[in-house]
Amino acid sequence: MSEAGITRAAAAAAPRARLALPHWIVGALPGVAFLLFWQWASGRLIREVYVSKPTAIAVRLWDVFASGEIWPHLAVTFRELVLGYGIGVALGLAGGYWLARAPQAARIVEPYVMAFYGVPKIALAPLFVIWFGIGIWSKVTLAATMVFFLVFYNVYAGVRGVDRELVALSRVMGATERQLGRHVYLPAAMPFIVLGMRMAIPYAVIGVIVGEFTSSVQGLGLFIHYASGTYDPAGVFAGIAILLAFISAAGLVAGRIERRLLRWRPPLHANSPEGN
Amino acid sequence: MAVPPTLAFQAIAQDFPQPGGGTLRVLDGISFDVPARRFVSVIGPSGCGKSTLLQMAAGLLFPTGGHVLHRGTRVTAVNRDVGLVPQQAQLLPWKTLAENVAFPLTLRGVKDPERTRRTQAAIARVDLQGFEQHYPYQLSGGMQKRAAIARTLVYGPDVILMDEPFGALDAQTRMAMQSDLQDIAAAEGATVLFITHDITEAVLLSDRVVVLSRRPTRILAQVDILLPRPRNMYEPFATPGFNDAYESVWSVLRGVIGKAA
Repeated sequence: MSEAGITRAAAAAAPRARLALPHWIVGALPGVAFLLFWQWASGRLIREVYVSKPTAIAVRLWDVFASGEIWPHLAVTFRELVLGYGIGVALGLAGGYWLARAPQAARIVEPYVMAFYGVPKIALAPLFVIWFGIGIWSKVTLAATMVFFLVFYNVYAGVRGVDRELVALSRVMGATERQLGRHVYLPAAMPFIVLGMRMAIPYAVIGVIVGEFTSSVQGLGLFIHYASGTYDPAGVFAGIAILLAFISAAGLVAGRIERRLLRWRPPLHANSPEGN
Repeated sequence: MAVPPTLAFQAIAQDFPQPGGGTLRVLDGISFDVPARRFVSVIGPSGCGKSTLLQMAAGLLFPTGGHVLHRGTRVTAVNRDVGLVPQQAQLLPWKTLAENVAFPLTLRGVKDPERTRRTQAAIARVDLQGFEQHYPYQLSGGMQKRAAIARTLVYGPDVILMDEPFGALDAQTRMAMQSDLQDIAAAEGATVLFITHDITEAVLLSDRVVVLSRRPTRILAQVDILLPRPRNMYEPFATPGFNDAYESVWSVLRGVIGKAA
């Protein structure tokens, strides 16, 4: 029996110990350097009213949080994001999976979906406001639409790309169509599904924020838009900073979930001491 | 009353459509039996349709002409009563070893504790204890092959179909696996239909070797191998009678191999 398999398994579990500095410090260096440069350059290389400066933005962030004025905006935007992303993912998953398992239907439907995919959904923002009003639903719909197409295509491609020999073998082992879906198609497509869901996070944010730019009563997008309209770059950047924090946090969570769901995949760098 | 053969191929013909139109007759009237509890190998040149015969027995493909009978009944749908060990181990990459081996039981609704018991027994049968929680990518090629065999043993089908299962392994692992397969087949009383390119492997493992021609494929000969069991996979040439058995297969195959495909 080969030793290679056992060695590989042991190597995959070994802790990384190559860098002298913790990974996050090295990762943060470019960001910190940029902030320092910005702070210095503002007022010297370029007028502060154009780009603000990190200290001013920090003060602004403190103000809006301490005064509590930001919380209603955040609550609305967050709710729109969760709804928009959730609905988009659910429909994209269901639609992509169903169409991939139904090749006759796919032949008819796919060209239409492809055509709509090409339409920039941002252009639909004013239309959605007319249809759904300036409350949360126009933003939710816009975000959901953008998320839907992305997730749909990834799921569709993933399920269609499943190894047919695996499917045939599973049938011989006794799998019904539903069991095939649960044990073969879905897990096989999971890398694509997860990829689609990760890529869709910024799209949901874009959809919601642009929707709020177009017309809104409350929300982070409105906050940014208002700051922009009143020549308040600190406010604009403060809003953007909050967005960045959110997207980073969502990305971290998504990464965790992805590692858990896809732990069966071979590491990218098979011969290095650390895993992917 | 004679026991009917477990698997019977009757006048199997198979045409495949050609890219430029028209059809290619691959199998041209193949008839042979796989008797109960016997080990039958099929050997022949590349492209003669050996894998196609297995797919027909598994109900994944239906012949253009003729029938496959399993226990006397025609195979008309996916055949869940056979075990299939393909060329690549084809473990499901997202399941652990234990989950993979247990998969046929899961599909049949077998619950714990019986499922775990039978899975453990099958894993022990192929000597993979301790690796139950490993994912396929953490197992070597030989280990994956063993796992595929365990997955077939776990639900005890009466026929095991094997498609060149040891072809991709190194010579040492191959001899070990052949030896294990002989033990397992004997212990389980299994009926095996085994496809191979390797005459030595066919002679050492089988009770009968079916030799196929080039396309359009016909049976050139069915050679009974009467060497005593258990046979030594590591020292074939030390077995008395091996040379004659080898020659009896090679004399038929000689005229077929060596020409351009």
